[in-house]
Amino acid sequence: METIILFAPLLGAVIAGFGWRMIGETGAIWLSTGLLFLVALLSWIVFLGFDGETRQTELFRYIQSGALDTSWAIRLDRLTAIMLVVVTTVSSLVHLYSVGYMAGDANFRDGESYRPRFFAYLSFFTFAMLMLVTSDNLVQMFFGWEGVGVASYLLIGFYFRKPSANAAAIKAFIVNRVGDFGFALGIFGLFLMVDSINFDDVFAAGPVLAETQLQFLWREWNAANLLAFLLFVGAMGKSAQFFLHTWLPDAMEGPTPVSALIHAATMVTAGVFLVCRMSPLLEFAPEAKAIIVWIGAITAFFAATVALVQNDIKRVIAYSTCSQLGYMFVAAGVGVYSAAMFHLFTHAFFKAMLFLGAGAVIHGMHHEQDMRHYGGLRHRMPRTFWAMLIGTLAITGVGIPLTTIGFAGFLSKDAIIESAWGAHSPAGDFAFWALVIAAFMTSFYSWRLMFLTFFGAPRGDRHTHEHAHESPAVMVIPLAGLALGAVFAGMIWFKPFFGTHEEVNAFYGVPEHHAEATHGHGADDHTEATTGAGDHAEGWMPGQGAVFTHPENHVLEAAHRAPKWVKLSPAVMMLLGLGLAWLFYIRAPGLPGRLARAQPRAYRFLLNKWYVDEIYDAAFVRPAMAGGRLLWRRGDGTIIDGALNGIAMGVIPFLTRLAGRAQSGYIFTYAFAMVIGVVVLISWMMIGGGAE
Amino acid sequence: MEYLLREYLPIVVFLGLAIGLGAALMLAAVVLAVRNPDPEKVSAYECGFNAFDDARMKFDVRFYLVAILFIIFDLEIAFLFPWAVAFRDVGPVGFWSMIVFLAVLTIGFAYEWKKGALEWD
Amino acid sequence: MIATDIAAILPEVILAVLAMGALLGAVYTGGDRTTPLLIWSAALVMVALGVWIGFGMSGTRTAFGGAFINDGFARFAKVAVLWSAAVVLLMSLDYLSRCDLLRFEFPLLVALAVVGMMMMVSAGDLMALYMGLELQSLALYVAASLRRDSVKSTEAGLKYFVLGALGSGLLLYGCSLAYGFAGTTQFSGIIATAQDGHVGIGLLFGLVFIITGLAFKVSAVPFHMWTPDVYEGAPTPVTAFFATAPKMAAMALFARVMHDAFGAAVADWSGIIALLSVGSMFLGAVAAIGQRDIKRLMAYSSIAHMGFALMGLAAGTGFGVQAMLIYMAIYLAMSLGVFAFILSLERDGRPVTDIGNLHQYSRQQPLRALCMLVLLFSLAGVPPMVGFFGKFYVLRAAVEADMIWLAVAGVIASVIGAFYYLRIVYFMYFGEEREPLDPPASTVQWAVLVASAAVMVFGVVNLLGIEGPAAMAAEALVR
Repeated sequence: METIILFAPLLGAVIAGFGWRMIGETGAIWLSTGLLFLVALLSWIVFLGFDGETRQTELFRYIQSGALDTSWAIRLDRLTAIMLVVVTTVSSLVHLYSVGYMAGDANFRDGESYRPRFFAYLSFFTFAMLMLVTSDNLVQMFFGWEGVGVASYLLIGFYFRKPSANAAAIKAFIVNRVGDFGFALGIFGLFLMVDSINFDDVFAAGPVLAETQLQFLWREWNAANLLAFLLFVGAMGKSAQFFLHTWLPDAMEGPTPVSALIHAATMVTAGVFLVCRMSPLLEFAPEAKAIIVWIGAITAFFAATVALVQNDIKRVIAYSTCSQLGYMFVAAGVGVYSAAMFHLFTHAFFKAMLFLGAGAVIHGMHHEQDMRHYGGLRHRMPRTFWAMLIGTLAITGVGIPLTTIGFAGFLSKDAIIESAWGAHSPAGDFAFWALVIAAFMTSFYSWRLMFLTFFGAPRGDRHTHEHAHESPAVMVIPLAGLALGAVFAGMIWFKPFFGTHEEVNAFYGVPEHHAEATHGHGADDHTEATTGAGDHAEGWMPGQGAVFTHPENHVLEAAHRAPKWVKLSPAVMMLLGLGLAWLFYIRAPGLPGRLARAQPRAYRFLLNKWYVDEIYDAAFVRPAMAGGRLLWRRGDGTIIDGALNGIAMGVIPFLTRLAGRAQSGYIFTYAFAMVIGVVVLISWMMIGGGAE
Repeated sequence: MEYLLREYLPIVVFLGLAIGLGAALMLAAVVLAVRNPDPEKVSAYECGFNAFDDARMKFDVRFYLVAILFIIFDLEIAFLFPWAVAFRDVGPVGFWSMIVFLAVLTIGFAYEWKKGALEWD
Repeated sequence: MIATDIAAILPEVILAVLAMGALLGAVYTGGDRTTPLLIWSAALVMVALGVWIGFGMSGTRTAFGGAFINDGFARFAKVAVLWSAAVVLLMSLDYLSRCDLLRFEFPLLVALAVVGMMMMVSAGDLMALYMGLELQSLALYVAASLRRDSVKSTEAGLKYFVLGALGSGLLLYGCSLAYGFAGTTQFSGIIATAQDGHVGIGLLFGLVFIITGLAFKVSAVPFHMWTPDVYEGAPTPVTAFFATAPKMAAMALFARVMHDAFGAAVADWSGIIALLSVGSMFLGAVAAIGQRDIKRLMAYSSIAHMGFALMGLAAGTGFGVQAMLIYMAIYLAMSLGVFAFILSLERDGRPVTDIGNLHQYSRQQPLRALCMLVLLFSLAGVPPMVGFFGKFYVLRAAVEADMIWLAVAGVIASVIGAFYYLRIVYFMYFGEEREPLDPPASTVQWAVLVASAAVMVFGVVNLLGIEGPAAMAAEALVR
């Protein structure tokens, strides 16, 4: 069954991409879409029927060279099952949505065939993503990792006639390359230390790595910390964490379904997945975990601030994604991987829905993306409005505090904030406050988006507003499907993801006696903790079960015991944000402008995204371009071309003429040359040879 | 190296002397000799009669042919002579070797005869 | 004693006796009318002798007190010489008859030259060396001026003769020095005097002069000056012969003298040969660019190729000799194909050699143009043609002998040299319209061309098994 799930999208991609001339455009589109729905159905069956026991299915061997033993195998555990559901569900709905969205695109000429290609790319992306999440070793994972990179490049640059789309595609690819470099280094390092890249071996080596030193660059590092950090660099690139986030907003140049599929629900979560997957290593790398928390918290805060002032509807959601990914990393960094996966799971539904809803608005408004030109659209697109409303309620975390009743985001986000508080570490405390403030801002910008788009009076081009229309059924049905997830995903799966330790362990298939060992010694009892450490040396191994938590990792329990004010804080922040947005955009619409004029510096700072792009431009892009131009003009053009052309067109013909002149035709010249030759050889022998 | 050069020292001395002497004599002629050129004096001397052709005239190629053929048989004799002297010692192998040599030469001779290389016209 | 000696040189004796018998027979019977018969029978005899030597003999035997050596190395070279000479004879027939050059002396001169070459590669003594060399050279001098009524042909013969005499004189001087300082003319004796650990300077002087004489025969820079003029002036079949068998024989003799007689002084001569090699590679590559005449161009091409073969020799190792033999075998195969092509070039019944005539040749003769393309790529050393592997072997030999600079120079020279080969390809495929050449008639030339091109392509598989015999031959020489 997993094999079908894995390869059906590839089949769809190949047929749609290469065979559409035979089965027709419509045939290709519906074939790939149908295959995806089949895959999604199978994934749900796998997910719901999964018993937590890790299963490995070897498909075939790939690279056998020395100690390197790479095979294509499907590793099915709880993490994989979650990702399967997320990926295939969102992907199938996006396929369906694209049938409507991509019809008659103005970026292509009449009669030009682009839709089969688009669906082939979408299916190929799904295949690569599935390959990533089902991989059983790091090389296979890297294959999927790069595969989604390629698919993302193709899809961002799908409007290949738009220069900005091409630039965005290249930017995404290059920024990801930086992260991939770290990831690749991490893989190399792991192979160096463990002599294997199979997950089982790597996981088992975690305790050993924690006590090993590794020479890297100028000094020795703790191997576990260094390798975990390098892998996290890869995750930063894919998941657009601060420093490597710049590509994500630009990637909105792609068609909106692409943004929903790749840049909200699936690919960007690959980094989170990687970190959770490597939990047996991370648990032995406390410094690396602290860095993850810091970076995640900074990202969550930073992206939320930028989202406050953006006017492009897709960019707001893009920064929102960036911010939510920061949440997930915080959860993973403090060691509550299940909470990270929980938020990943719920976020996929409501964020995909927000994107698709935004896509519907854009589609209905004739590709107008500036929110300042929207307004009052809830009358013209009621169904889209309701979908967006549900998405907004989910992302802002509406629910009944101190219970487990609420929209999906309410449960998962609160779980993360409580986990950050429960970490009781400097990084955790910082993350807690950053996330609480970010929650306030999330609420503000989400409601700002809603108010600007659907409330108030129509602004901008009247003609566009008169022709604004509701989207066709194929675009609304996916919204409905995602709405179900956005409302109920959190409530249904709260306990497995963020319940008690036993519930979580059972969900992830972590062996029973580990749970008992953890349960056995109390949170403060360090003597027993060392016994626990001795315990794992005897029989218990990291890597059994989908995630691993160190015996001394009690953040989950601490999070559950968080005081009431901690648990209430997100809800308060959500209400504050809602109120402020209402004040700014319904009650007194002139207020934001006045505020921006009163604080021009802060406003521009946020509008320009903290000037990160400009700094990178000055620090990396310009010097690289200048260096490249120097090497090209001077190095390649002048020195290499000049030298080669000089030799080929100047020196060689000169020598040829010289040789021709020496060939005088007179015997005495020839004889003279021979005699000179003898003299030269004798001299050579006397001076340079072995005459002594 | 040293030894070798020392062996050649007398030759170098001779070379120096020869060059020096030759140069000295020619320079002496240039410096000391009385010069009174007239047409008779500068014309080529040809055994009493006037020169009637350029000294670098072309010879008929047949002269070369005859000369080469002559040299071949000359060499044959040059080989035969020591062979005859040592005939007693060389034994049957030596005898037959020379017979083979002569046979090869004879084949060549027969070829050039038939080709007409020995006829002047 | 004498019977075993004769048995050792039986192939040479047979060829020589047949040649002399044929000389008398032809001159007293049909004269030039017997030429086709003579050419065919000479070729057949050579092929048969090649088969006999190559497959019917084994081991190492010496004769005449060590003056003649019949070992694996000699046999490899002899087979190559015999077969390439036979192929040249066969493909010349058509050309000679159309140019009214059907002299019965031609096949006999070739046969006698081949006898000389067989002597050369088997020489175990300076005297045997000189005898073989002169027998070969004298026959070639005459062959060069085969077309007596052509000024260029006689000029070629005379130049070759005069310069050859000078080369022989230098060689003889070297031989006499070697004899004087070693006290013997036998290679085994010379190497024995050198093996005392010290090679006398007098012997090294002799060595340099011997190298000079041999370098003249392989036309290595700066003793190459005769090559373009002789290649251009001599009738094309003779040029084809010059470019193939004598080169193989001279290279083999070179290796024989260097390793058999001076094998104890590798460090002394490898530098000199490397110098010759670099000079030849570069001059061959650079000077050929200016040539419009394809025969002159092939002359420079052969100079460059000799430079590469010398690179293998300069390595001074057994592998170097093996690489040299492989290179020479490949070179022979390529040259035969190219000359089969050149022999077939005619316009209005007259042979043409200007490469300007090849414009748009691919339109007229697609298959021949394709074969020529393969051969030229192979000459330039473009993978996957076999020519590349020849270069690869000698470069590897140089690198393994720690002569990186030599290998680098070889690579640069081959890049420069690729230009003029590719220019011919350019003319054939992208040139401008010219009046077409005559359609070629000879099936033998066609067969040789196609076979040669096929070897260049399919030899990639395992170099057609040449590697094993070459390794055995090299092992027989360098112990």
